[in-house]
Amino acid sequence: MATATEAVTLPAGQAAADRWRPTTAGWVARIGVLLGIFAAVLWVTAAVKPFWADRIALAVIYAIIGLSLNIVLGYVGQVSLGHHGFVGIAAFVAAYYVTEKAGCTPEGGCNMGAFLTGMVLAAASGAIAAGLLGVVALRIKGLYLALITLAYGFVAETSIFEISFLTRGGSGMPAARPNTFDSDTQFAFLTFVFLALVLYLDWRLVRSKVGRAILSLKHSEPVAASYGINVTAFKVIAFIMSGLFAGIGGGLYAFRSESVVSNDFQFAIALLWVLMVVIGGLGNRTGVVIGSAFFALFPFLVESIPGAEHFFADTLGRSASYLPLVIGPALAILTLIQFPGGIAEQISPITRWIRGEKFSMHPEGHGGHGEGHGDKKHGGLMAKLGLHKNEEEATEASTEEIKQDTEPVLAAQPEEPQGSAGHDDPKENR
Amino acid sequence: MRTTIVAAVIAVIVGIILILGSGDTSGPNAPIIIGLLTGTAYGLVAIGLVLVYKGARVFNFAQGEFGTLAAFIVYVLIEQVRSPEIPYWVAIIVAVVSVVLIGLIMERVVVRPLMNAPRITLLVATIAFALLAIGVEIMIFLPEAKDLPRIIDPLNQAGNPVGPEIYGFTIEPQLLLIVGILLVLAVVLGYFFSKTDLGLAILATSQDAFATRVVGIGVERVSRFIWGSAAFLGAVAGILYIPPSLPLTPGIMTAGVLIASFTAAVIGGMTSLPGAFLGGITVGLIQQIAQWAGGHYQIGEKFIQEIIPGSANVAVLLALLLVLLIRPQGLLGSEA
Repeated sequence: MATATEAVTLPAGQAAADRWRPTTAGWVARIGVLLGIFAAVLWVTAAVKPFWADRIALAVIYAIIGLSLNIVLGYVGQVSLGHHGFVGIAAFVAAYYVTEKAGCTPEGGCNMGAFLTGMVLAAASGAIAAGLLGVVALRIKGLYLALITLAYGFVAETSIFEISFLTRGGSGMPAARPNTFDSDTQFAFLTFVFLALVLYLDWRLVRSKVGRAILSLKHSEPVAASYGINVTAFKVIAFIMSGLFAGIGGGLYAFRSESVVSNDFQFAIALLWVLMVVIGGLGNRTGVVIGSAFFALFPFLVESIPGAEHFFADTLGRSASYLPLVIGPALAILTLIQFPGGIAEQISPITRWIRGEKFSMHPEGHGGHGEGHGDKKHGGLMAKLGLHKNEEEATEASTEEIKQDTEPVLAAQPEEPQGSAGHDDPKENR
Repeated sequence: MRTTIVAAVIAVIVGIILILGSGDTSGPNAPIIIGLLTGTAYGLVAIGLVLVYKGARVFNFAQGEFGTLAAFIVYVLIEQVRSPEIPYWVAIIVAVVSVVLIGLIMERVVVRPLMNAPRITLLVATIAFALLAIGVEIMIFLPEAKDLPRIIDPLNQAGNPVGPEIYGFTIEPQLLLIVGILLVLAVVLGYFFSKTDLGLAILATSQDAFATRVVGIGVERVSRFIWGSAAFLGAVAGILYIPPSLPLTPGIMTAGVLIASFTAAVIGGMTSLPGAFLGGITVGLIQQIAQWAGGHYQIGEKFIQEIIPGSANVAVLLALLLVLLIRPQGLLGSEA
């Protein structure tokens, strides 16, 4: 486990200074392909009908929410089942601001300043909501966060989303789009800007000292604590970042639907978001974005197959929109059992090539980018995430020993050595 | 010993409130009776959660859906199969057996391959399984609520409610049935875990699967047994609790019961079967009293529930946080 922690803590690329590098032409080809993909996505967004541009905007919003969950699930290794709470709160705050405070109306539209202020407030409210919950909940060790966030999500549904001045009951709170981005196509491009912002923030987070500390938590909290990392504090920071992204996603969600209703944020959607991140590939930005977009677009893609709607509506008597409810979870189970790397692992030959490695179907022995220790069977990424199907039992056992041995270290946080040892340790770590 | 003390404390508190509140029809007495009854249903689901946690060290998010699936199977058999007419008890047996099979399939397909994976992976897998079940239910039955008749009709032929009446509130016979079944199960499970070889093997597996295997206990067999009986408990809870209390819609036991049951299991200590039972009753009481207080007390001009809607769920979240922060081992938590 110690080597694993080291590999993550090392600056990117330093471990493999003399590895193979592509030629200049190779770099040109790689950058060309990357730009080509971006251009293709943007061109499709511009070329398709507004109906589809609206769906693309939803896919981008899902990608942002996926990246938000990815921090908790992929980086920290905890489960949040209450993200619809954060997203919903942010959506209502944004809608409340532009409608009640900035005086935007569905007819008159909104000015850009009001929109941006609404987005900032949405991001802040998501971060504050996550921070408040995290400060209390993340002191508890083990997997109990899953239960607390689940209960929190229900509180959000039955209490917060029922506060009538904020949500206007069932009729919904209007959220007019800014005038310059009023059409569906324009708005889709606007969501891309925010996705780029979130991706940049996420990248900076992972590459910072804070990010490396957060990533180390997933391997072993006791080991991280013994390196002087304040486990609870960094978990709370990760949770706040996650809430910030969820807030951005929620704000965009409000402006996309132009009227926020509490029915949009029910707990089944939070579970679906967890699955889309798992299928995308925990801890992998590219995979999460693709997985999230897939989940957002899938129902519409099925419906758009010629004859499909007719088949589902008339022959089966079921709406095609129910299909993802079955296929999504089935894919998730398949992913967990058979392809623990998710979409990220499936496309990893391409992503590795773009990052400047030789094209090969298998990861290099000593991959760079902090994905480290490619000596594991499934390659660096999955080893880092500890998601191996057949993780050596010896490793498991030794982790348990380390946990037991370092229990006092964990209890007495480095910042406050005389802190009350062990009073908040559930037996999980025994 | 501790079980007796905790049970006695709960009983004394409930008794004092009931005596103080007697004669006041708008008082907390009726909510307390309802809380005790719903609490036993939470306890039934929570016992299934505890069983899985004891054996696999994971929260089983599919526990609620075992119940919904069973209720839907009963619904199909008695409402949609018209010839021959199927008696209710046959439908129950078929439903319980099918759900136990589903539990075993889940164990084989989802749990077994992830036995050595990190717990969080298995946790997400149980969520995925629950969602899969909900998706299948929606596909087959559509999201609209169905009406599943009760085992025991709450109205007699004259149309009057049957069952004992306390403080102007008639207790449905079916809810009493849940209490009875839960008590029987508690005794059986208590005996099972303290006296039988398989029960002790389950405890051993939960503490150290590798060492258990070394001494020659079939970990796979234990795992099968755990998930099968968890499915059994979930199915029984769903069939008994949904008809008198909840509309039969896809995912109803997950949305309506699972959180309260998890809270119950946590209050009980996550590993204690009597703890889960007492925790269930505690959560039922907390919910009902919070809801009653929300509609009964005012802050200034407004009722509490107008300022904070959904006070029952808020109370459950607070109870969960308080227990985990102050006493993470729960009221009755221990390894065995």
